[in-house]
Amino acid sequence: MKAQVTGFLKNIVNIKGTNKGLLIQLNDMASYTEILDELKKKVSDPALEGDAEVQVQLANRHYSKAQLEEIKKVIHDNSKMKVIGTKCDVVTVEECNRMISERQSETYVGIVRSGQVVKAKGDLVVIGDVNQNGRIEAGGNVYVLGRLKGFAHAGASGNKEAVIAASWLEATHLKIADELETMTDELDSLSEQPEMECAYLHTSGKIIIDRLQELRFLRPQISTFKGGS
Amino acid sequence: MGEAIVITSGKGGVGKTTSTANLGTALALQGKKVCLIDTDIGLRNLDVILGLENRIIYDLIDVLEGRCKIHQALVKDKRFEDKLFLLPAAQTADKNDVNPEQMKELIEGMKADYDFIIIDCPAGIEQGYKNAVAGADRAIVITTPEISAVRDADRIIGLLELEENLEAPKLIINRIRPHLMEAGDALDVNEITTHLSIDLLGIVPDDERVISSSNKGEPVVMDPSNPAALGYRNIARRLLGESVPLMTMDKPKPGMFGKLKSIFSSK
Repeated sequence: MKAQVTGFLKNIVNIKGTNKGLLIQLNDMASYTEILDELKKKVSDPALEGDAEVQVQLANRHYSKAQLEEIKKVIHDNSKMKVIGTKCDVVTVEECNRMISERQSETYVGIVRSGQVVKAKGDLVVIGDVNQNGRIEAGGNVYVLGRLKGFAHAGASGNKEAVIAASWLEATHLKIADELETMTDELDSLSEQPEMECAYLHTSGKIIIDRLQELRFLRPQISTFKGGS
Repeated sequence: MGEAIVITSGKGGVGKTTSTANLGTALALQGKKVCLIDTDIGLRNLDVILGLENRIIYDLIDVLEGRCKIHQALVKDKRFEDKLFLLPAAQTADKNDVNPEQMKELIEGMKADYDFIIIDCPAGIEQGYKNAVAGADRAIVITTPEISAVRDADRIIGLLELEENLEAPKLIINRIRPHLMEAGDALDVNEITTHLSIDLLGIVPDDERVISSSNKGEPVVMDPSNPAALGYRNIARRLLGESVPLMTMDKPKPGMFGKLKSIFSSK
């Protein structure tokens, strides 16, 4: 007996074209094995043009990582299509907690000395110096009220929009997401006056340092205040 | 009840052992009863600098393993009437033969008999360091005006600050060469203290006689006319609670020609 198919789709697997490319919709009421079988049938249809990039829409159902890999494998093995992303309307509790913690800010008061590592899941505020060979790491942005002379890593969980800001930016190493920059002119930049600066990942993929005042134009989304009064 | 102070630096060769010997001697000269403990097991030097090498019978390991009593292992410095003692390190064992708990117990038991127990820490941040720090109440970090030494001092301060029963560490800047500092070729005192941001306990100028007197087994601090000795004596007075102004580095006095030159160059 075939399962009762309800929900927003009549079919178990739906392939449709949009102006942003192909979309594969998986019915969230059908069973997983049914979906795989149907998916295999649909994507191996020779009428489909090859080489297309597709998004997979998972709707209100949570798939495990292994299952997602299996779905991708079915598509890649049976067609020339390439999965460029998946979209799911539900998140697990763990994922939700992770997302909340990434949006929170943690504060460290003190000096981060050589050999010490301070990590935060979300934003990290260090009130004090970060000395050479000291390391600060944050899932979100890094702010240092003091001299940043060591290693700073922002967007450690992959956020390329993250920034590193400091009262004195004299770091030996700056890292945003997976991009690492070594600061070779460390000694030249030793300035007596605080020069507030921020580092961000430019669209070219390089880390750029700019005046802190530019931050509101570069990353307006950092501000959590909306509108004016 | 005495106080146990560990002298440490992270980097080797900045003058931990020399400073231990000189500070201990300076405190003994002030009439305090001092015991120096060498924890550099396997590479002991403190006995040599104090000139007590050939009077060692038992060592730290013998005491910890119960082969002798503490008083049998202590070497008395005869130059200071019952004021200065040394507990030498073993040369044939290594640092892993001791654990922090043993050191803590040993030092705790000795505190009643001395005003100061000064512990000479080996270089590095491994077992030897952990042993040396275990029994201490406070720590003194030695550095020199070199970037490498300051980096290691920073590391060691970070580790010391994690020790719960230790007071905030204090800093000694050793081997200062005034002419290099003035020329900007070496880090200056201010730069080092702001970078490390801990209290400065004192500075010790570089002096050749530190080496020659160490080789003779007579700590330089015994010669009151020596500038390095003055540095150590000032530090000892500060340890005793006196407030002593930081010594000024005397520049070589300019001759007639130098004076003329400075007059013209200032215009």
